[in-house]
Amino acid sequence: MAVDMLKPQFTGARVTRLEDARLLRGQARYLDDIHLPGMLEVAFVRSTRAAARITGIDVQEALRTPGVVAVLTHADLPWEIRNDGFGVTQPVLARDEVRFVGEPVAVVVADSRYAAEDGVERVKVSYDPLPPVLDMEQALADAPRRVHSQRANVFFHSEHTTEGFAEAFAQAPHHLQLTFRVHRQTGVSMETRGCAAMPDPASGRLTVYVSHQSPHGVRAQLARVLGIPENELRVIVPEVGGGFGIKAMFYPEYVVVTALARKLGKPVKWVSDRTECLLSDAHGRDSVHEVAVAFTEEGRIVAVRDRVLGDNGAYPFPGFPGAVGESNWATNMLPGPYKIPHISLTVDCVFSNKTPLGPYRGVGGPIGAQVQEGMVEAVARHLGKDAMEVRRVNLIQPEDFPYRTATGNVYDPGSYSESLEAALRLLDYEGFRRRQAQLRKQGRYLGFGVCVFVEPSAMAHSEAGSTPYEAAFIRMEPNGTVTAALGLGPTGQGHETTMAQIIADRLGVDVKDVVVLHGDTDSAPFGGGTGGSRSGTIGGGAAIRAGEQLRAKLVKLAAHLLEAAEEDIELADGQAFVAGVPARGIPVRELARIAYTDVNRLPADMPPGLEVVARYQPPAPATYSNGTHAAIVEVDIRTGLVRVLDYAAVNDCGRLINPLIVEGQIHGGVAQGIGSAFLEELRYDEHGQLLTTSLMDYLLPAATDVPRMRVQHLETPSPSLGGFKGMGEGSLIAAPAALANAVSDALAPFGVLVTELPIRPEQIVAWVQAAGQGA
Amino acid sequence: MSQAEARQTQRVVLQVNGQRHELDVEPRWLLADVLRHQLGLTATHVGCEQGVCGACTVLVDGKPERSCLMLAVQAEGCEVTTVEGLTPAAGLSPLQAAFQQHHALQCGFCTPGILVTMEALLRENPHPDEATVREALSGNVCRCTGYQFIVDAVLAAAKEGR
Amino acid sequence: MKPVAFAYYRPQSLAEAVRMLREHPGSKPIAGGQSLIPLLNFRMARPEALVDLNRIPGLDEVEVRGQRLRIGGLVRHQQLHEHPLVRQHWPVLAQAAGEVGHWAIRNRGTLGGSLAHADPAAELPAVMVAADAVFELVSADGVRQVPAREFFYGYLMTALQPDEVLAAVELPLASGTSWGFAEVARRPGDFALAGAICECRPDGTGAVTWFAVGGGPERHELVVAADANERAAQWQDLAATLDAQDDYRRHLAAVVAETAYLRSLGRDGQ
Repeated sequence: MAVDMLKPQFTGARVTRLEDARLLRGQARYLDDIHLPGMLEVAFVRSTRAAARITGIDVQEALRTPGVVAVLTHADLPWEIRNDGFGVTQPVLARDEVRFVGEPVAVVVADSRYAAEDGVERVKVSYDPLPPVLDMEQALADAPRRVHSQRANVFFHSEHTTEGFAEAFAQAPHHLQLTFRVHRQTGVSMETRGCAAMPDPASGRLTVYVSHQSPHGVRAQLARVLGIPENELRVIVPEVGGGFGIKAMFYPEYVVVTALARKLGKPVKWVSDRTECLLSDAHGRDSVHEVAVAFTEEGRIVAVRDRVLGDNGAYPFPGFPGAVGESNWATNMLPGPYKIPHISLTVDCVFSNKTPLGPYRGVGGPIGAQVQEGMVEAVARHLGKDAMEVRRVNLIQPEDFPYRTATGNVYDPGSYSESLEAALRLLDYEGFRRRQAQLRKQGRYLGFGVCVFVEPSAMAHSEAGSTPYEAAFIRMEPNGTVTAALGLGPTGQGHETTMAQIIADRLGVDVKDVVVLHGDTDSAPFGGGTGGSRSGTIGGGAAIRAGEQLRAKLVKLAAHLLEAAEEDIELADGQAFVAGVPARGIPVRELARIAYTDVNRLPADMPPGLEVVARYQPPAPATYSNGTHAAIVEVDIRTGLVRVLDYAAVNDCGRLINPLIVEGQIHGGVAQGIGSAFLEELRYDEHGQLLTTSLMDYLLPAATDVPRMRVQHLETPSPSLGGFKGMGEGSLIAAPAALANAVSDALAPFGVLVTELPIRPEQIVAWVQAAGQGA
Repeated sequence: MSQAEARQTQRVVLQVNGQRHELDVEPRWLLADVLRHQLGLTATHVGCEQGVCGACTVLVDGKPERSCLMLAVQAEGCEVTTVEGLTPAAGLSPLQAAFQQHHALQCGFCTPGILVTMEALLRENPHPDEATVREALSGNVCRCTGYQFIVDAVLAAAKEGR
Repeated sequence: MKPVAFAYYRPQSLAEAVRMLREHPGSKPIAGGQSLIPLLNFRMARPEALVDLNRIPGLDEVEVRGQRLRIGGLVRHQQLHEHPLVRQHWPVLAQAAGEVGHWAIRNRGTLGGSLAHADPAAELPAVMVAADAVFELVSADGVRQVPAREFFYGYLMTALQPDEVLAAVELPLASGTSWGFAEVARRPGDFALAGAICECRPDGTGAVTWFAVGGGPERHELVVAADANERAAQWQDLAATLDAQDDYRRHLAAVVAETAYLRSLGRDGQ
């Protein structure tokens, strides 16, 4: 009832962020800004081999290094992260075998990071090399060997085929086979990972600071691995400088640092350097999709077979083995916005001697979209049709909702066709085709690429764990200001603002009077944290529900004091008043004062205080955002370099909480998409050495690589409370596919269809040369 | 050099944000580390330690330079300015206010390096065009924003004459 | 990523600097440090001591001396890019300096440092070779002049001795030769994938100096064909001789040579 009555003042408005002042003034406190007297710093000795037996570790010289306090190995810290279900454990410091370059082998504790690194250099690890497993096809057959001797390299296999697939596939008049590949990439948050731990001698508890997306997730894992009761662990997530999924995982370093603090009885801090990050942050992507597509004369796709192979690296992250997450998402969402009645999927995930795979924004979404839109492009080309026509033939239409896909998802209503047409209008598709034809005559190759995406959000299961709900605690203080706490783990998304907007609207107070706490397990209610684009929808739902409950208390009190019926009370601009009679009112802050300090005036059945905690679980296992990205690129066929000339993103994430923040998310995702399509690749050599261990080798998009983007919002509300849908990942799902198709379109005269990302300039030159020689 | 020598410090006088600091540093300590950990000026962030990401950018005698590619001992005799030195006692500077108005930051980690760089740009060139802003910004990596709102904020600050 | 320990000396004169370099074995001069400090941070450079050249007066000057443009080793890339005398006499050098790294790097990085470091992908060594510059190397024994064309030995290797400082360079003032510069990089500000400086003399002779496609600057004299197809064949034949990383780099070498050539004629090579 109240939701319908509400005239939101803040929800949906371009509210500037409450977080910004401290960040702009340089007063925000990130992990490395935490310093305590006597704090020790650590550095890790990391494996220099992809696969080897450890035959000895000599720490004597390291121990003699000035400033070094301790050097510890597995013998001293024998903790292991268990990955139930896969028959694999990960020692937090390698026990007798190393399985990837960068795996922690020993830890040096010193009075500064400089001294700790001096110590690291002096730890002598002897290795007996083993043949590394580096190729996923070979790994399937346990060649050259097993990564974990006790089990096969294939650790996950699944199959799903719709009934009638074989007939539908066979009967279709046209067939194409395509292989899509995405290479390893990673999140590269500008703030590196880090962790600090300190014992509290008075209480006996441990406080752990960690740059992370899920405070309660870290607490649960630390408690499990170290055998510490959860109420003796306090996890605090300070300001976090970006996460993008990599900071949702639980890493061995966190166990080591926490165990060290307990063992040494001192505060201990570890801050990763950039090389450590590239070696040890969760890698993402890295899968192959062998696709066969069957379609009709008019371009209707009737059946798709996809055999997926994913390389998980050496260990499964607890709760989220990356290759499984990637492959499941990619195949589950393979139909995207298209009505594809028949699907046959086979997924295999293997271990290898590479860095463990985990989530990176969008997870399997980008490769799924790449397959989906690459197929469309190929079908159009095969039939000699415009790819937009093929899209129109296949798109799910408004009357089809709720739509059940062949993979079992039920899509809530979206604006699939509308978003495509809007994107084409934004970039003047017809006009572009004319310009493209003219410029080709001058030897300039422009291309237009599109991705119509569907983004599953607010999922019951995601990298944030299996917490399908969120909780919000709200307290109105005696002076009428509001303190709220949620179990989210924002890494730049602005939850302190968006949650405050939602709450302020419920309570009729100014958004600036709402403080949103998060990231401290001592103050925040248990929550899943941030990941899988869940915070706005699930956290926002919890904020609405808690806000409604607190509102009900205020209304009840106001009705009592104003001698009016509760249904006649409105809350706005800091006042509670009788509808239509603004003069008959009372300030909300006066209600708060009474609720705490003048309790004789409360209704007989109303307890003192203004506090609520409420939980919200959305009605569906996911809500689906959608939209269309369109890109215009120019390919320099002499150099192989690609410039993005124009870009449009039409986005539908249901009701907007804050368009400014949504646009920021879209812009950032597109920039990362440009990186994914053209720049970012983690490359290994034949020995399993990572070659891209610095930002000189792992290239990130700069301001000169990203064009000005046009953003248009559509709003198809979700069935979730507030009508919100998650939108943190859609732009990085859509952008790589749109850009790949734009390059394919530009190079269509050379018969090029891009199926592998990222696209390297030397590939483009080679494709063009090959076409020239073939002609 | 011997281990004993390794930890020898030398006395330097640093001029940071208009304040004089006398302190003992090891020659190998990077300016970024000394600003952050000796002087407590933690607005300057460290993102790559090889000069690529730009998070550690500070002004040295008014020009943007990487504090991860400068030893603290080398800063003696220079005027170093960090974001703390560009921030008014209360509220925000015009450029900072434009950043808030245009949502030019998300996680905020790269923001201080970008603010000092853009402050220097606007001092040299009070009315840059978009291409100039992007070129000057291209040495600072932001992983969150896609740069567009940063560019908008800088152009707006320039228009308002800061 | 923190440097190993080292001693630090800050000489006030060139004479003092070269004496320190001689007195302290394992010492290394540091100027802008924009290449050296990353190597220190990665612990790939492990000097016993650093001799800081930044406070030495007189090393950061640009002047015309007779028929030569003299540039001090401590001149920063951004100064080089903006200096009126450089722009007037050696616009191709000013342009190349503007391509070095990003603004914050150019504000500190020095000409002398870039030349001494001799990264094969760096712009300035190639410009010096193309321009037939002469380097002034100073040690405790005195001054010696080394032509740029004899200075660069190969990947990060030069004629500079550990106890020498590259104090200045001298370039001949231009004489009717027209110049063009071009490079291809993954992103603006990155080290080049391939780059070229093209010189064309009024008599039709010319030369191309490549960088990033071998161990160091590669200069080839030729009579550049006026016909575009012939010229393309010329570039390809020359590029085929380069000790580049791969065929793609050799291909790019031909591309940048053509662009630099067109620019030397004042035409936009895109």
